Amino acid sequence: MLLEFMRDDHRACDHLYTEAENALADKKVDEAKKLFGAFYRATNHHFDMEEKELFITFEKRTGMMGGPTQMMRYEHQQLRALLESMLRSLNEEKYDDFFGQGESMMIMLQQHNMKEEQMLYPMIDRALSGDAELMIQRLKDMPQ
Amino acid sequence: MFNGLSLDQAPPISVVLRFFLTLPVFGLILSLFMIFFPIEILTPNHPFSLAGIHLLFLGMISMGMIGALFQMQSVLGGAPIPSPLGNSIIIHTLLSAGILALAGAFILQLPELFIIAAVLLGSGIVYFAQILLPLLLGKMGHDTLKGMRFALFSLLITAILGVVMASSYANGNFENTHAAIKASHYSIGLIGWVAALIIYVAFQVVEMFYVTTPYSDWCKNNVKRILGISLLLKVIWLFTALQFPWVFDIFIALLLVGFVITTVKRLRSRKRRVSDVSIWFWMMGMGLLMISLLSYGALMVRHYEPLEAMSLIAFALFALSIILGMMGKIVPFLVWFHLNAAGYMETPIMSNIIPAKRLKMSFLLFGFTALTALLSPFFPLLLIASGLSGVVLFSLLLFNLVAAAKLYRNVLATGTRFTFEP
Repeated sequence: MLLEFMRDDHRACDHLYTEAENALADKKVDEAKKLFGAFYRATNHHFDMEEKELFITFEKRTGMMGGPTQMMRYEHQQLRALLESMLRSLNEEKYDDFFGQGESMMIMLQQHNMKEEQMLYPMIDRALSGDAELMIQRLKDMPQ
Repeated sequence: MFNGLSLDQAPPISVVLRFFLTLPVFGLILSLFMIFFPIEILTPNHPFSLAGIHLLFLGMISMGMIGALFQMQSVLGGAPIPSPLGNSIIIHTLLSAGILALAGAFILQLPELFIIAAVLLGSGIVYFAQILLPLLLGKMGHDTLKGMRFALFSLLITAILGVVMASSYANGNFENTHAAIKASHYSIGLIGWVAALIIYVAFQVVEMFYVTTPYSDWCKNNVKRILGISLLLKVIWLFTALQFPWVFDIFIALLLVGFVITTVKRLRSRKRRVSDVSIWFWMMGMGLLMISLLSYGALMVRHYEPLEAMSLIAFALFALSIILGMMGKIVPFLVWFHLNAAGYMETPIMSNIIPAKRLKMSFLLFGFTALTALLSPFFPLLLIASGLSGVVLFSLLLFNLVAAAKLYRNVLATGTRFTFEP
């Protein structure tokens, strides 16, 4: 239930990044900046949904404070730093750096998403049981 | 103190690099062998040919795959391989020494070396399996982990059959079942270990690295079943001397054709359109697998010996192409990941760890090595050209890997580490 909602959001973020990367590869710099901005906001919003709502609820319900959610927070921190570097490279017109950082970011992000989809979200779904719909609505209502 | 992200879960970089660095070393040995003994290598069942085959499939392909499994288990499985450094040293040492002993045994025809090789390789593979298999048992959600379990189990059976054959070579006493054991050994090794692992890794990485549509659930669920049942029935047919065991090869071949078509379709319609050498390696790998299947099909219709060699060479090159393509991506990522996660400010970006120019050069060299090797069963002296090209290719690969490892060490030794209290 929640797994599907969050997985779809992962895919939507992936789509935005590939569009930005493709635009830059086609030398459409303005379009690339706009699309990367959208990806940057969407990904940070996704991390916020997890850190400010989902993980806290999960930790309260299960008592698992230092486990997988903590690991995911660490990874968010690293990915946020990468997104900042990429934004800087794009604004400073260092496009080779942008592509190089993008390669690391994509592998890191995909591994991170995979861990969430394979392990964490199913655990959260079980912990939420009947309240998954309510949680999804709360996540949808979060301001971007 | 914050000092990294999920770093605790990942094995030390030396664990994976140890196996990857060995691949070009065995590649160089094999290339030299091809230069000096082309005719012997191309003669079916010649001891030099058997030495070459094992240098290729064990020294290069299996080394690369076992190194990758150490990394994949920590990422996909959640439970990393315990004591990865110590265990990797044990496994790597046993395998490296075992491969050299086996190649030496074939070349020198020394019975004692066959026994030594069997003990070293058998214990190396059994040791690896007894560490990794328990982590892959039980209920798992991830298809690639199930595929890894299937492949590892196949490797174990391949090794057991190999040990039995090595003792036959040592004693010079070949049982009636020798032909069946040999056919089972290479069928399970090539299909159950090599092809199955690549297919299940493709299910994961093609979608992940290139942002493609996922492979269908039917594929993910049924590939191992079709391969497993076909291999099992083929082995039964071989040992009971029933007719037409090649019928099961048809099922396997059809499945592999399906895999090629599905993978090429996904790669061609990928969302990330940025040019990437690893995609070229994937495409070439798919082409080589298709050549392998077509030449095997032609061999069934008309028994023309060079076709058999061509099919085997193309199959090995298919696996090598995928491994080289993935190494070009994994090694820079691991260097970046370990330095960045440890907080080094001088962490280079991936494209500065192995520059794209050198990756493109290795692709071109691989293409030439592959083309000449493929044609060598028909024009044997071309194997010398392939060997010469292989020497350059594997020297470049070794240089790329050593340079990446040196860069990593330099940053560790001289870099500035960023730390903070949360």
